[in-house]
Amino acid sequence: MKIALTGNPNSGKTTLFNAITGKIEHVGNWAGVTVDKKEGQIKSTLNRTGMEMTAIDLPGAYSMSPFTSEESITSEFIRTENPDVIINIVDATNLNRSLFFTSQLLELNIPVVVALNKSDMTQKKKTKIDIAKLSKQLGCPVVETISTKTNNNGLETLISKVAEIKDNDQVAPFVATGVKMDSKTSVEASDKKRFEFIKKIVTSVENRKVSSNKQTSQDAVDRILAHKVVGLPIFAFIMWAVFSISQTHVGPMLSDILVGWIDNLYALVEGGLGEGVSPVLSSLLLDGIIGGVGAVVGFLPLIMVLFFLLALLEDCGYMARVAVIMDRFFKRVGLSGKSIIPMVIGTGCAIPGVMATRTIKNERQRRTTAMLTPFMPCGAKLPVIALFAGVFFGDAAWVGTSMYFAGIGIIIIGALMVVRITGEKNARSFFIMELPEYRFPSIKRAVVSTASRGKAFIIKAGTIILLCNAAVQIMQTFNWQFEVVAEGAQNTSILASISSPFAILLVPLGFGAWQLAAAAITGFIAKENVVGTLAVVYSITNFIDTEELAVVSGQEDIASIMGLTSVAALSYLVFNLFTPPCFAAIGAMNSEMEDKKWLWGGIAFQFGVGYTVAFAVYQIGTLVTTGAFGTGFLPGLIVVGALLATVIILIKKGDAKAQFKATPQKA
Amino acid sequence: MNNLVVSLILLAIIGLSITKVVIEKRKGVKCIGCPHAGASKKVTQIKLDGNNCGCK
Repeated sequence: MKIALTGNPNSGKTTLFNAITGKIEHVGNWAGVTVDKKEGQIKSTLNRTGMEMTAIDLPGAYSMSPFTSEESITSEFIRTENPDVIINIVDATNLNRSLFFTSQLLELNIPVVVALNKSDMTQKKKTKIDIAKLSKQLGCPVVETISTKTNNNGLETLISKVAEIKDNDQVAPFVATGVKMDSKTSVEASDKKRFEFIKKIVTSVENRKVSSNKQTSQDAVDRILAHKVVGLPIFAFIMWAVFSISQTHVGPMLSDILVGWIDNLYALVEGGLGEGVSPVLSSLLLDGIIGGVGAVVGFLPLIMVLFFLLALLEDCGYMARVAVIMDRFFKRVGLSGKSIIPMVIGTGCAIPGVMATRTIKNERQRRTTAMLTPFMPCGAKLPVIALFAGVFFGDAAWVGTSMYFAGIGIIIIGALMVVRITGEKNARSFFIMELPEYRFPSIKRAVVSTASRGKAFIIKAGTIILLCNAAVQIMQTFNWQFEVVAEGAQNTSILASISSPFAILLVPLGFGAWQLAAAAITGFIAKENVVGTLAVVYSITNFIDTEELAVVSGQEDIASIMGLTSVAALSYLVFNLFTPPCFAAIGAMNSEMEDKKWLWGGIAFQFGVGYTVAFAVYQIGTLVTTGAFGTGFLPGLIVVGALLATVIILIKKGDAKAQFKATPQKA
Repeated sequence: MNNLVVSLILLAIIGLSITKVVIEKRKGVKCIGCPHAGASKKVTQIKLDGNNCGCK
């Protein structure tokens, strides 16, 4: 039995889906989090019928006439896949708007059960809804649900109603007749009639104590947090606080415990190996696998604390306000107002972030957003940020915060460039997003979200990162004749010979060592590999001090082993963050852009940006700190000059194209 | 003898990692370990758009 879960954006569909299936799909307290359908079996504790019930969570939609691509997924699914029953999740706090879609669903002759969700919030507002009357007027069962609650949430009743009505014929209380779909006036007239019908129902079933026109305390908070001037500095402060807590205070304390366990494991295995074991095998096991993976896993608590705090921010409704704050900047540079959603999602992982660009209708804006979203530092880049902030900047929270804001700055400049290069007129876009009400964040939801990310991190560390570290260790141990390289002669190894040519190109950026080049290359497989590879090639067993509760043990020692100044380290960090993302994210870019020219152009742009920004950071930083430019200034300047010249030529071509389009053509 | 044992341990660890990667890839997971990939793995059965991974 196939059950489609539908409803307006942010009505709580995914939370309800997770509650009835036991899945852990990402939920967010704002619209547009689900952009694709998800499928799961109804939990046996809720399904007492013995029938196999499959729930399909569909993206939010306001109507059956799709305006966005995710809405079209919903309407297409319902029209073509013939679900047995539709569960229509209705936001009880906003009946007027939600029932428009409900009335359209009721016309499809598929049995509908209305889940009147967020019932707890209506109770708080002292709004009373006559459920029996609403059910009678709609002609379908209505069940009150609170999907965020564990018990007495109405979900068992909801599922039993689904089973009850599965073979029923659905009678529509309102049928739109004589609508010409190709006529805007006709559609609008029909919608008007439908709204009038809904209004009548709502007036008869709802008793509100608080008028929606009244200014509430929530509005007062919004006037500050989403303010066009102070909103941005408040966002910067919040991000700084998040980094400060996760990477300077709580995170390192927890990491200390974990690293202690990893150290004990290392010592145990080292002791167990005893004498007589080949140094090649023991170093592969100890340095390549335990050391390399351990170095990455050591950062897990920092990342989990950070994700926990971000989940709290999202759940309380603040991230939706960030979207509003950023909207006006993005619109001015030719991006869609909706571009902020992929970028916020991209802070967790670039892949779903890029995937979320499909909510953008304008093709150029969608492709540009897919190209620029990976500039937001994702979760995989956090160990790299934490490592460099710890080694070179004393765990300073400003490093992480500034990387996020640098990402936003690059996105804005990049968007301006793309508009000029494509020569397309800046399309006016409207970003209408319903702001969710502020609520006390759910610790449980944040813990579940953090735990699922932590599990993913461990699986990735035990698979891709482990294999990469083992390969790096082997390539570092042997030369091309497959002979073990002598101690201190790693420059002759396979790894050194592969990465050295790349290292030469990186000299103007302040890091010409082949080890650093190798780490940057393995970062394209998964960004966490940068940390793992650095641990393997420099034989550093862990980056976290177990005695001083600091992120890095022997900071000065590690800095000197890497041979980097603070400025060069910042340049290396910037290079790893702002060059193309991992291959999986590039694959997602390919899927969403649907154009090879855009894909390769995007990758070239990302390389160009990463190289140019790292060059500027190193050379300007070195000039400021030492009074002279750094190594390789002139060759680097030639490369960067060539990149900028290419961009200027492309912009000129784009301008000419735009001018040609703007000039009236003779027949 | 010690070398043989260590070699077997190494092979087992690497073999397990490769197996896990292969299993995940066969499921259609694009990014190994992704917590959101599992829920949509059966999407191909309802033949919406041929995707079998939530990340696609």
